[in-house]
Amino acid sequence: MNILGIPILTLVTFFPVAGMVVVLALPGSRTRAIKLAANIFTGLEFVATVLLLTRFDASSGDMQFLERVPWIKAIGAQYLLGVDGISLLLVLLTSLLTFIATLSSWQAVQKRLKEYYVFLLLLETGMIGVFLALDLLLFYVFWEVVLVPMYFLIGVWGGERKLYAAIKFFLYTLFGSVAMLVGILVLRSQHQTFDVLAMLAAGPVLPVALQSWVFLAFFLGFAIKVPMFPFHTWLPDAHVEAPTAGSVILAGVLLKMGTYGFLRFSMPLLPDAARRYAPAIVVLALVAIVYGALVSLMQKDMKKLIAYSSVSHMGFVMLGLFVLTPMAAKGAVLQMVNHGISTGALFLIVGIIYERRHTRLISEFGGLASRMPVYAAVFLIMTMSSIGLPGLNGFIGEFMILMGTFPVSWLWTAVAATGIVLGAGYMLWLYQRVMFGRLANPANESLKDLTLRELATFLPLIVLAFWIGIFPKPFLAVLDKPVEKIIRVVNPAHFEVPR
Amino acid sequence: MTSAASSGLGHFIPEAVLLAAAVASMFVHLFAKRGGRRAAGYVALAGIAAAAVALALTPPSAETFFAGHLAADGFALFFKAVILAAGALAIVLAFRFFNVEGSEPGEAYYLILLSMIGMTAAVSATDMVTTYVTFELFAIPSYVLAGIFKKERRSAEAGIKYFFLGTLSSAVMLLGMAFVYGLTGLTGYAEAGPLLAGGSGLAALVAMSLFFVGLFFKAAFVPFHMWAPDVYEGAPTPLVVFLSTAPKAAVVAILVRAMTSLFGGYSLEWSGILQAVALATMFWGNLAALTQTSLKRMLAYSAIAQAGYLAIGLAAWGEPARMAVLFYIAVYVVMNAAAFGLILLVGGGGRFDESVDGLRGLVRRAPVAAASVLVVLLALVGIPPTAGFMGKYFLFAAAVDKGLVLLAAAGALNSAISLFYYFRIGKAMFLEDAVPAAPGAGPAVPGSVSRSVTVVLALSAAALLLFGILPGLLTAPAVSAVLGR
Repeated sequence: MNILGIPILTLVTFFPVAGMVVVLALPGSRTRAIKLAANIFTGLEFVATVLLLTRFDASSGDMQFLERVPWIKAIGAQYLLGVDGISLLLVLLTSLLTFIATLSSWQAVQKRLKEYYVFLLLLETGMIGVFLALDLLLFYVFWEVVLVPMYFLIGVWGGERKLYAAIKFFLYTLFGSVAMLVGILVLRSQHQTFDVLAMLAAGPVLPVALQSWVFLAFFLGFAIKVPMFPFHTWLPDAHVEAPTAGSVILAGVLLKMGTYGFLRFSMPLLPDAARRYAPAIVVLALVAIVYGALVSLMQKDMKKLIAYSSVSHMGFVMLGLFVLTPMAAKGAVLQMVNHGISTGALFLIVGIIYERRHTRLISEFGGLASRMPVYAAVFLIMTMSSIGLPGLNGFIGEFMILMGTFPVSWLWTAVAATGIVLGAGYMLWLYQRVMFGRLANPANESLKDLTLRELATFLPLIVLAFWIGIFPKPFLAVLDKPVEKIIRVVNPAHFEVPR
Repeated sequence: MTSAASSGLGHFIPEAVLLAAAVASMFVHLFAKRGGRRAAGYVALAGIAAAAVALALTPPSAETFFAGHLAADGFALFFKAVILAAGALAIVLAFRFFNVEGSEPGEAYYLILLSMIGMTAAVSATDMVTTYVTFELFAIPSYVLAGIFKKERRSAEAGIKYFFLGTLSSAVMLLGMAFVYGLTGLTGYAEAGPLLAGGSGLAALVAMSLFFVGLFFKAAFVPFHMWAPDVYEGAPTPLVVFLSTAPKAAVVAILVRAMTSLFGGYSLEWSGILQAVALATMFWGNLAALTQTSLKRMLAYSAIAQAGYLAIGLAAWGEPARMAVLFYIAVYVVMNAAAFGLILLVGGGGRFDESVDGLRGLVRRAPVAAASVLVVLLALVGIPPTAGFMGKYFLFAAAVDKGLVLLAAAGALNSAISLFYYFRIGKAMFLEDAVPAAPGAGPAVPGSVSRSVTVVLALSAAALLLFGILPGLLTAPAVSAVLGR
């Protein structure tokens, strides 16, 4: 089903590539035209993804707008795209954050503009493709397409240790992906198809022992991306060295590719193995929640602090997915979106102060609230969103995860809850040290408040933070059916409990 | 049907065209003045083009010709096309090389053609005697090619090394063939194969091992690769393009024919041998490449490692595996030619910079070339959407379908390892700035970027992307070549 006879998902996926071609065609000296073109294309892309909503049937848990074309006849691979509530939210998040990242780069990026926007647009196509592909080979192609532009975004426009961070990011994730590729090969050899929908219809034909191996192969690919403890060590380097827009997309979207992979592929395709390994994964997730929060408390660099907080937050998402209850899983998907919003915004916030002062050390600041009141307000809202203050988006997601976890284990719930307390600790302490107190450092005297363009980049994120926090129903409505469908496959026992 | 077609000659017009072009090129070279040797190259290139046309017009045939000595099936035609492409790429790159080098040994052009005739015949051979003769026919000109700059020590050393080890390995192969003849009294693959399968196992295995050693040597499979880094590093770069691609294609064709018909009864054994060879070749090639500082030597090891992936497909018997091998060999030729072509990109005044540092900041000076090289690197690592990924994918999938999951996993792991050294090139081109010439460090290489090499790189990159996004364009001929349709 398409909108007005246009294959809408193909359009949404490859529209950024069209933008890339336009940017490539522009002469490198016309910087304004390049910036404008990139912003227009990412802006229109966001509009296009919003258009999906007009025909999207929220009451259905099935894949919609399916597009199916034979791709490689020799091995039966297809060009198969489809969207359900889970992918829809992530596609919207991707197009919004990419647009915001592009907008935020207007001043921040000064060198090699043309290449910068080319990579950014290529990255967007890769990410959207990951969330829409329903053919495992096609999925893998998009998954890998993401790596190269991100490598360059970190490596060219990054900070001091950019070369190290870029290759570390590339090597870690490529190592995970090739493991996943072997898993895909085994799945395909057993099912004789790459079609995820056909695999789901066929049910788990793999014996449990084989499922476990495939699950572990997929686990390496996805867990490195999330990143789960103890595979997280690439993340602080990559986040800290990446340019602001790179960090926003890295934290906002790329990490979700890992959790999305677990939910879309590992859990329903390998349900027995997922059940078997769920407790172990939950334990790793709990370690990540507490460990990430503790390490965040220790950080002297604002960006590093937020990077480590991602480890903790993504631990929450993993917990929500692998307690295998619909409530927690829905919370987890919502929390993926929430983390994209709040952490994306926090990276922008750090980026703005870095642009002005060229330092991110917390000790360099203090008392900024008196010089930058608007900035202080935005920072405060996003801090609250990140720590889960009721009325803001983070609360809904975390609460649902905890609520879904409690019937399974009160102990897990308790450990996860300490993560929230610690989270409030490091974020509020950060806010206090940077914004409150006396303006002691003379270098901060002349700091300018947010410009209109900067404020505009935050506005949609703030609106969404309140919207999800106060009225999450429309977001949860699209998640109900598809999430329940997956949990029914992976944990049928949950639905058999007499009420 | 004409009498030529019925006698079989009609199926070997490409070879005849190549031979005519080689002779013509030889005469042009003989009578050309010092400055006019390029004409010999143009004649050779035109000959390859004409042979390609003839090849396209040659229909595949299920028969064998000349008393069962040569086949002209789709399989042979596919490999002939690959060999023609390798030769053409080498000659185009040689133009650039000889321009910079300032001297033009024009005999290289017809030697390449002569070697190609041997290869195109070798991929058709279905008899041990023909196999051996054609094998030598393509090997001997290649020894001369490696040492064509006889006054330059590196090149002369490469030629001598290649010659001595090459003749030794063909002698070992000949011994293997003698064993087969001794066991069966026959030389034809199809005839000797069943007798061999029914006979005494151990002697046949010895024969097979000796036979394979010669081929493994030519394909630079570990542990018979020792000559390869030295020869690839020492020989003139455009000739390395030829030496590191076309002979491997010919050897793979011979191997597949020998494995499926002559040693068809020993598939378990040769699969085991090739699994070991694949593992050794991939790991050794990639790990050794990691430690290299010279770009050319690094690429030499990369060429070895890439052949290791091919061995995975050879180890996994069956039609999908053979399709994968055919797909990959075609991709390999393009990737490898472009990779060595990269060395010819920047240079002037008689030398090329053979270090990675010479490529620093290339994206500023030559954005098209740099972007093309990036695509080639992605293909070499095996990252989509390039044909390099698809090729590796088909090979790994064929292995997994036969239960060789660990072999496929080793291949995938190697692809991740190779990223590290391939992206030293990517890093230098895109992430680093050009080094200003340090005072007293000797004269810097004049940094003119070659337009012809840029075109070759861009076309290679376009082909790799095209076959990566729409692999069906290449799998269709490969499948029909394997199925003999």
